[in-house]
This record gives sequence, C-alpha cells and structure tokens, in this order.
Amino acid sequence: MKSSYLPQWTSTLVVLVSFFTLSAAIGASPASTQGGSEAALLSGDPVKVTVFENLPAGKELELTEAPPTEEYTERAFGFVRFPTKYSSNALALDRSTPFVIRASLHQALPAGEYHFRLRSKGAARFLIDGQALLTTKAQKPNASGNDPVPPPAERNNSTWRPVQYPHQEELAAIQLDGEKHHFTLIALMGSKGLVPLPGELSLSFGREGEVPQLLGSADPVLLTDEAWESYAAEQSARHNAADMARRRAISADTTARWQEYNHQVRDWVKKRPAPEAPKVKSQELVFNAIDQFVLARLEEAQVVPTPLTSDLEFFRRLSLDTVGTIPAVEDVSAFLNDPPSQRRRQAIDRFLNHSGWADHWVSYWQDVLAENPGILKPDLNNSGPFRWWLHQSFTDNIPFNRLVAELIQMEGSIFQGAPAAFKLATLNDSPMAAKADILSQAFLGEKLSCARCHDAPDHPRKQRDTFSFAAMLDGKPVKIPVSSTVPFVEGFRKPRVEVTLKPGEEISPHWPYAELVDASDMAAIVPVSSTAPATRRQVAAMMVTPENERFAKVLVNRLWKRYLGAGLVEPAEDWYLAKPSHPELLEYLAREFVVNGYDLKAIVRLILTSRVYQQKPLPAAAAIAEPKERLFPGPIRRHLSAEQLVDSLYRAAGKTFSCEELNLNPAGNRPLNEFLNLGNPQRAWQFTALMNERDRPALALPIAQSIVDVLTTYGWRQSRQNPMTVRQDAPSPMQTILLANGIVGTRITRLSDDSAFTELALEDRPLQDLVNETFLRLLTRPPSQSESRVAQDYLMLDYPDRKQQGAAKQKSAVAPDKRVSWANHLSAEATLIRMEEERRLRMGDIPTSRLSSQFRESYEDLLWSLVNSPEFTLIP
Amino acid sequence: MKKSTWTRRDFLKASGATAVGVGIGQSGIGLAAEPGNQERVHGKADACIFIWLGGGAAHIDTFDPKGRGDGKKTPGCYYASIDTAIRDVQVCEHLRRTAPLLDRCVLIRTLTHDISGEHGAATNLMHTGRRPSETIAYPSIGSIVSHQLGVKSEAVPAYVVMGYPNIARDPGFLGPKYGYVYLTQIETGPNGLIRAPDVDNERQRRRESLLSTWQHEYEREHPGDHNIRGQTAISQQGFRMAGPQFLSVFDLGKEKQSLRESYGGEFGQRCLLARRLVQSGVRFVEVSFNLNFLNGTGWDTHNDGQINQHLLIQDLDQALAALLMDLEKNRLLETTLVVVATEFGRPPEFDTGGGRGHQSVAFTCVLAGGGLRTGQVIGKTDELGRKVVERPVTVPDFHATIHSALGINPHKNLYADERPVPITNRGSPIAELFG
Repeated sequence: MKSSYLPQWTSTLVVLVSFFTLSAAIGASPASTQGGSEAALLSGDPVKVTVFENLPAGKELELTEAPPTEEYTERAFGFVRFPTKYSSNALALDRSTPFVIRASLHQALPAGEYHFRLRSKGAARFLIDGQALLTTKAQKPNASGNDPVPPPAERNNSTWRPVQYPHQEELAAIQLDGEKHHFTLIALMGSKGLVPLPGELSLSFGREGEVPQLLGSADPVLLTDEAWESYAAEQSARHNAADMARRRAISADTTARWQEYNHQVRDWVKKRPAPEAPKVKSQELVFNAIDQFVLARLEEAQVVPTPLTSDLEFFRRLSLDTVGTIPAVEDVSAFLNDPPSQRRRQAIDRFLNHSGWADHWVSYWQDVLAENPGILKPDLNNSGPFRWWLHQSFTDNIPFNRLVAELIQMEGSIFQGAPAAFKLATLNDSPMAAKADILSQAFLGEKLSCARCHDAPDHPRKQRDTFSFAAMLDGKPVKIPVSSTVPFVEGFRKPRVEVTLKPGEEISPHWPYAELVDASDMAAIVPVSSTAPATRRQVAAMMVTPENERFAKVLVNRLWKRYLGAGLVEPAEDWYLAKPSHPELLEYLAREFVVNGYDLKAIVRLILTSRVYQQKPLPAAAAIAEPKERLFPGPIRRHLSAEQLVDSLYRAAGKTFSCEELNLNPAGNRPLNEFLNLGNPQRAWQFTALMNERDRPALALPIAQSIVDVLTTYGWRQSRQNPMTVRQDAPSPMQTILLANGIVGTRITRLSDDSAFTELALEDRPLQDLVNETFLRLLTRPPSQSESRVAQDYLMLDYPDRKQQGAAKQKSAVAPDKRVSWANHLSAEATLIRMEEERRLRMGDIPTSRLSSQFRESYEDLLWSLVNSPEFTLIP
Repeated sequence: MKKSTWTRRDFLKASGATAVGVGIGQSGIGLAAEPGNQERVHGKADACIFIWLGGGAAHIDTFDPKGRGDGKKTPGCYYASIDTAIRDVQVCEHLRRTAPLLDRCVLIRTLTHDISGEHGAATNLMHTGRRPSETIAYPSIGSIVSHQLGVKSEAVPAYVVMGYPNIARDPGFLGPKYGYVYLTQIETGPNGLIRAPDVDNERQRRRESLLSTWQHEYEREHPGDHNIRGQTAISQQGFRMAGPQFLSVFDLGKEKQSLRESYGGEFGQRCLLARRLVQSGVRFVEVSFNLNFLNGTGWDTHNDGQINQHLLIQDLDQALAALLMDLEKNRLLETTLVVVATEFGRPPEFDTGGGRGHQSVAFTCVLAGGGLRTGQVIGKTDELGRKVVERPVTVPDFHATIHSALGINPHKNLYADERPVPITNRGSPIAELFG
C-alpha cells in the first residue's frame, strides 16, 4: 500500500478570478438559503451541444477548424449520455476515439458573485466569453487494479450530491455583471484505454452557501442526489425517444426499399397456389383458418379439443406471451371493461403495440443467436451486445427479413451492439464457423454444430458445409483450424465419426444449401446494400429470398412452438428428420408471413386470435408426442421462463431491480474491449454473466448477483457460448426454495416504501377489497369466496390499526457503493466494502414504518404465500 | 420430469431407432472412443472437499520449495523449507502443521497446462477439465460428481460452493438441476436456503399453512392436472431441503470451541463447515480461499502481494491440517477426498514489485485421504520449479484421478442432447495412487 497519495477526486481548487470588468453589481440579491432561487430569472434558452470527431491528437480541446458532426440541444450542463450515431440503415456507429462535446449558452445571470463547479472524469474546460475558468485533467488509463479506494463521501447533513468516484471537481468563484455572457463547456470523451462515456459530467453554479444548480435550465436542476437522478433518468429517456425518431428518419430510404421489395415478394407469392383451409364439422370451434387446419385432424382422429380458457386466464397468458410479464392491475380492469365479445381481440391489439413486445423477444433471440457479451475480459465466444440492436429492431418492428439480412451483414458498432456485435466470437479460431452454425439453426433449421469438427454422424451435414458457409460469411476462403478435428490417439479405439477435412485445408466460399434454394431470381433484388463482403450479402439474400421456403417455415414454426408449447416441426432448430405434424398449416402460416411483409406481429396476431391458442392447456408431457400424435387439442402447459418470472415479480411489487450497473469498470479507465458496460438493467434480459471466475469479493455485484441467481436457477443461461432453442428449465426444488427464502423473494414480499403493496395497504377501504386487489395483482384473478375468507381472517386482527400516524417514507433498498471499480479492486478496502454490502443485502429492503409491524408481517405472509404458490409460476 | 425439451435422442428413442439412439454409448459412435483397455475404477471415496486457491498459488512458495531467492534479482523460494512426514520431501516453513501430515497426502508437483495469461480461462480449465467449446458448455467437476453420485438424501443438496457463483462452477449441459447451493461468507449462510432474518419458525409455519390452502384450492380447481401436483411436490421437496435437518449443519456453534479454534479464521471455519457438510451427505464441497484482504491480492501475488503471502499460507496450513485431523478422527478421511487446487503456479523470478507472475507449465496440486495410496510425491520439476522433469500430469489426468478416487469411471459418456461427451477428455488416473 502506498502511504500517501493525492486522490484526484478530492482535489478542489478554489480560484478567485476577476478578469471581468465588474460593471454594475447593483441589485444583486443577497445569497438566499434556498438553492436555485435565481432560476426564474434565467431565460430558459436550451443549451446548444455540438459533437466533434477526428480532431488532431493532443489538441482536441482547441477545436481548431473542426467541422461538427452533430448538433442538438440539452436542458442544462449535465451529461449522462449523448445521441447515438446511426448509419443510413439505422445501425449504431462508433464515434471517433476520442471525440469532443461542446456545450454552449449565451445567457445573463443576475449580477453577483457565483461559484462555478466543474465535475468531470476526464479532460474538460469551462470558459466564459472564451476565457478558460475551470480545467480538469485527462484521465489516465489504469494498469494494475491497485488504485486506492476513495473515502466515503462526506455529506455533513447536506443534500448536495457528492463527487462520484473517480470524477474531479474544480471550483472557481467569479463576479458577474448581469449582462449576457458566453458560457462554454468543452469535454473530451474516451481515449486509448478509456471508456467514451460522460459519467456525470456537469457544470453547476450557485451563490455561496446555496445548493448549486446546473447551468442552463429554466426549470432549475439542483445538484442534489434526488434532482440529479431524476434529471439523468429524464435525459436517458428523452435520448432513447429521440434516437428512435432519428433512426427512423435517417433510414427512411432503407425502409422504403424494403417496403417496395416486400410488395414485389407479395405479388410473386400470390401467383403461387395457396393451401386451402380444410372444411370442418364443428364450425363453432373455428375462430380463424388455423383452427380449421387443427380441427380437421382432430375430427379425423376423433379427439375433442380442450375448452376455452376463462377471460382472465386468457389475459394472463396473453400478457406473458406478448410483453413477458403478468398484466398490470390497471390493464386487467381495462380488459374487463371492454365488451365481452370484443375484449380478447382488443387486448391482443393492445399488447402487440406495447413496448414490452420488444423486451420479450430479445430474450428469445439471445438464446437462439448466442448473444454472449462479457463484462470482464474475453471468454470463449463472447459476442458484442447485439441485444441493443435486437431490442431496437423489435421496437421499430422492422420486417423480419430485413432484420435477418442486417444481422448477416454484421455492420455497425461492435460495442454499442449493432449487428457487427454478432460478428465477434472471442478466443475462437474460426468465428465464422460458429456463426454459420448459429444462422443455420436459427433460420434454416439446419444444425451444423456436430459438423464443426467432423462430418455429423447420422446426419446429412458435412464438415465441408460448415466451412464453406463460414467462408461465405468471411468473404474469403477459410482454413480448417486445428481445433476442428478429431485426433486419433494411440490405445483408443478409432473414432467412428468421419473426418474428411484436414487441419490447414482451405475451403472456398460456397452456398451449402442448394437443395433449399439455388439459383434465385428474387434473391437478386433483396435490398442488401452494404460494404459487407459480396458473399456475405449473398448469404443474406439467399437466406431471406421467398424462393427459400424453409426460411419462412422455420420462423413460423418457431412462433407456433413459442405460443403453443411444441412445434409443428420438432426439433425446431434441426429439421433433417422433420415430419411436420400439420404440413398444410405450416405452408399456410409461412405464406401468410411472406404475404404480410414478414411482419412477425401479423402471424402472432393470427395465432393469438385462433381458438386453439385460447384453449385450456394440455399436460406438459404432450410436448414430446410423435408428429402423428401431435394433434394440438389444446396448447401445451408451460411455466414462466426465468425472465418472465423475475420481471413479473418486480412488476407486481412495483419495485425496480435497484442493482449495480452491470459494469466492472465504472471508473472508466480500462479499455472498452475488455470491460463492457451493460448499464442499469430495467428488464431481466439485460442481465449477463457477472464473470467472477477470479472469485474475488471485490469483483462481486451482490445485488445483481441475487437476481442472476434466480434467473440461472430457472434456466436462463448466463453464458451463451452456443445457440439454444429449448432451455433446460424443468421445475426443481432449488427453484422453489430460492424464491421462497432468497434475497429476491424477500425483497419482493417486503413491505418497504417502494412497494406497490405498501401503498395498497395504506388506502382506505374494506379489507375484502385489499384482498381482492392483491389476488388480482399477483394471480390475475379475484380470490374465490373461501380464499377471500382465509386471507381476510389472516389479516383481520391487525387491519384496523395498521396505519402509523406521522411516519415518513424512507429509502428502501441497499444502495450499491459506487467506490469500487477494477482499477482499485485489489485493495483490501474494496473487498470489505463488497462483503459488507452482501451482509446488508441479506436483511432485505428496509421495511416501511407507515404500517404497524404486526399488520406488515401478516400482509407480507399473504404476499409470500401467493408468490410461492404453483399458480404463480405456471402459465394458465 | 421432462418439460418440452425435444432432443434427437428422444426422437430416435421414440421412433424405435434404438440401434442408433440408445446404442450410441456402447458402440462408440461418438467422439468418445473408449479405450481398448479400460482402467478399473478402484475409488473408495464417496465425497470430495475441493479447496480452491483462486489467483494461482505459487508452488515454489508452498508445496514445491527450491533454493532460496532474494525477492529481487535472485529467483527462488521466498521462504525457508522444512522437512515433512515423507522422507526427503520438503515444504515451505509456513506449512509447519501440514508437514507432519503429508503421509496422508499426495503432492502432484507436475500439473501442467498452457493457459497462463487469463485467470478466468485457467480457472475454467481446472474446473471443467477442458478448454471451452463453442458447441457445448462443459460441466464443472462438482456438477459431474453430483450427477454421477447423486444425492444421499432428498433433504441435502449434492453440491455446495463456498465462494462466488461463476461459469467455471456451473453445471453446463447437465442443466441447472446439477448446479450448486452457495454461500460467500459463513455469516451470510447458504443463499436461498436460509430464510430472511425476520422469519422465525412460527412465522414460516403460518406462511406454509397459507400456501397449502392456495395449493389445495388450485388443485381442486384443476382436477387431474399433473403439472400442478408435480409443482407442489417439488416445492415441498425444496422446503425439506431448507428444513432444520440440513440448516443445522451450518451452525458451527455446535462444534467444540477448541476444535473451532484449531481451524483458524474465516477460511478455516469454511473448512470445518465442509466437514460438517460431507458428514450430512453432501457429495462435493468447493471451499474457496479468497480472503484477498489478508495480503491485498489473494494468491495472485503480483508486486506487493508477495509481502504478506505468508499470512495466506499460514491460514491454509492451519485449516488444512485441522481438516485432515478432524476427518481422520471422525473416520471420514478414508472416504473423503480432499483436493487443494489452483489455476496455475508462479515462476521463481520476482517481478519489479517483488511479486511473481503466472506459470502454468508446472505447478502443484494436493490430494489427501480419499482411500488413495498417500505419502507420495508425483512428478518432479527442475531446480527452480520452472519445468516438468519427470511425469507430467495433465488436467484431464488430474480430473480422472479425482473421479476414479470417487468410484466414477472417467471415460464414461455423458450426453449433451444426443452427443456423447466422456467425463474427462481422455484423462488417465495416476495409477500409483490406486491399488
């Protein structure tokens, strides 16, 4: 340990600058005790922000002759994120390393003396009328992990937001004259070994003794924890919305090209004969054509379909299947207020347009496409975080053929998660062979993984297929890596698998699926326009062209399996022995998919509006019936996926994860390619492997870990080295006990001041209504009479006196200590901070004091019993 | 219970193609060509305590001491060496309690592999016995052992980790069922099994009684639904596991104070808990020695981590010696294999900060008890422990030895869907330790 150091985050420089001609300080009001009192006097002009890239090295902050690459406005001089840069295909792009932002404002402040305060991780400058007033130093890349941990922030009962590690703070006092002045902040973002994120870059001002406020906002933003956090959240949300609008505008041409192409495809397909929905006897059981296909076989086999679900069972299932969580209680009321004859259809439309649609789909494709970003140094097959692009694509609802074509072309930014992130396969000696397998399984139902190292036994796929496909993706011949062989070892029986290729052998690009689609007229007009290698574009075109009927069929089969619990073709990712249970239905769905411009929502709507989807479930065992016995007299019983479970729990309790940022480098002083920042998760799909193979307490993220524990126990994979269509998530005793006793379960059922159930319990109403609402919220149904009686009996005694007069709300969750980063994790202090956090976390969220502890405990017991009931984890 | 998983094996079985589907293992169709002369499996042990020295413990400063270095320019051992219970075999001076017990141990001084750059990757290798594959996720040795030996009782999990959850310890293709219960500190207790502090037995009883009301109501509403009944049965099994029988194992207060003291600090208490877990029926306990605040770096002794490395070694020494004696006293040593493993060793040279870098081509792991022929040293490194001179032991060999000691055939095939995967990648157990 170094004995003395001057930590940069505490160095506070007080400069008294007086280079202004102090004209009239008349009328300057005395410093008020309340922060932001001057705000009303500000004009409210937005802050103009300009982004500069590719500036001459070493002189970036001079901004000499630099043409700006982007301009936008911001509320104030506080920055937690910037607009995303997009390509004309709406793919995220990296800015230059480093880039510079300049924020400027021409504004008058009332005359008087002000303290200006600059907080920045790296090099920044604050100027007034072109003269530098405050300067922060460039951040240095960290090499050792031995930096000291800063002391805890000293609050001294102040509400001021402390300087966050490892920000610098510079301070200067200055007299202003009441006239308009040019205020400018210039800051350097990223550099070699540094992450290009702003942290909490801010410039604030205030009179002595006042809480500072951010410069620039008409609506003052004080430099307090609460105000800063809400400002930061608002900024992020606003940029997300703005990003969406910008990428739609910027990619209008691309969108139009795909629209035009999909019209041509529709006309092309319509010239071909369509499968006709068969006639059936039980017309009353037909909601749409799907039911005709299903019923025809059921009638033939004399099997009776299961009855319809109740409206509320349907609604819970629908919500889980579309947005990935149990429904909000308000949505239940809205549903029940709709006319009974229309409510199911209207609910389907509402859910298909819900933002959760994208969240629920990302999980699925993370598995199938082996999305596997690592937050700490590369492991095998780490991809970039193309989760962000998947989410964006489902939010924008781009046609699915365009989505696949863009994925295959692998362009844009790796670390911001554009399709280029799919290209990455760290530590893999033949990344494109891995991608060939992933793409084949996902979109063609052809599994190549057994044909990576040898010809697949009992399977038509040869090793050559894998590598010629890989070569197409690579745009050049690929060599067979040494790892892709099966060595013969003396003393062991000769392997029965055939190895037809030798290590080092060069394989040329060649489309291996000629039997699916060969020479193709339509492929030629697929709007693949990119700088990707020609053969890669060819793969994209051959994959999505309508002549390749397998593509649409594999997709609709995946949809069918997702909503009905088993595929028409099984296994969904490997069709070589495929015998579809309902070949005509498969044809029909595939055609509808193409005719509807590859709009996933069109087919999902078709499935969800069918009667078979809306029927009561069959036992789960029915999923493994042989094709000829897979008649679908009803959907197959499923349970909540790991993500559905976790998201539903937090949603029901109205709580947020409040966990650490998924980032082992919050200091930002290690390189981006080794330390990815996956942000603060809002939905379960955003979690990732926490990568503590080093087993170091200081590298633990205890709160995030508690959620990852639940996810993994319920079958979510923290590491996705390989693609997967069906998870190993059969119910297990560990699942139930982890939910019952673990940290997540304790937090969800704890009546803290951030719990929706606490608010429910505080409302004035009969106990019966509270019980009713509780059941609705957790189980999407009212309690039966006897259930209601049991619950009321349990709560009755303590209900009347439950409210504690005068008690105030308090913070509920363990706040992560933000002083630990890779840069200092080897210090003993970092270890102790995290171990202490783990201990505190065990206690759960802090209970509310607005409810009596007797009532609180009883109501927690009721919540616990409902969350842990089998009904909660089974999809109705 | 099988949820909607549909693998080709199911399909082949379902379609009656047994010659291919079921016969895969026996006919040796897969990669997993079985050896012509299969070694017989002799193991007598039925449980394993796997002590993990994460970071890369320096063999030269612990179990494979050499000539003295100076902490600067002259390479060599950082400490003096002492004699042990094995004739002509020495260890470092800070292992003075373990030294007289070496007749219960085997020092494997010639572990060797080629991943020295990345802790994560080497840790993975030492836990799974393989380099990772892009087509399947290999299970950890703990998961394989629990898969092969099964649980001794429904009320006790097969696999417990004291340390942080990570991919290296994961069940891989065996599925979450073969995952572990873990705790990061003795004080916080096993994650998920210990109830929140404000839920006492009486409150838990009330909770479970409410729960069973909903369960019965739900079952009544859905007569004949096997999934609901199955779910209820599984959750009851979970509650049994979190019941008093197993949780009392974690109460170290039940041990004599003098015994607790003999084990030493937090790491020692973890070892004591490991003994109690094994006694209760747990098959595989991994005990992590990750108390990095003792010297700053843990076993990853770069730079000034070297200065207080002896504190780690002394802690290890005290705990290991106490564990061996305690197991012996309880007649558990013959049936419990104790393993001391690490991801790699460290070179005899010192870095500019006086610490050591990484070295994977020659390092030491220790086995003890487990019914092995102990009191032996396997392999020999050169005069400064840089290279293997005699009898290299690969990671698959090391794993094969552990499996064999536990009566598990290291060549047996496991299945990742339809694909046969032998338990070890052609590892051979160290023959001298058996028979």
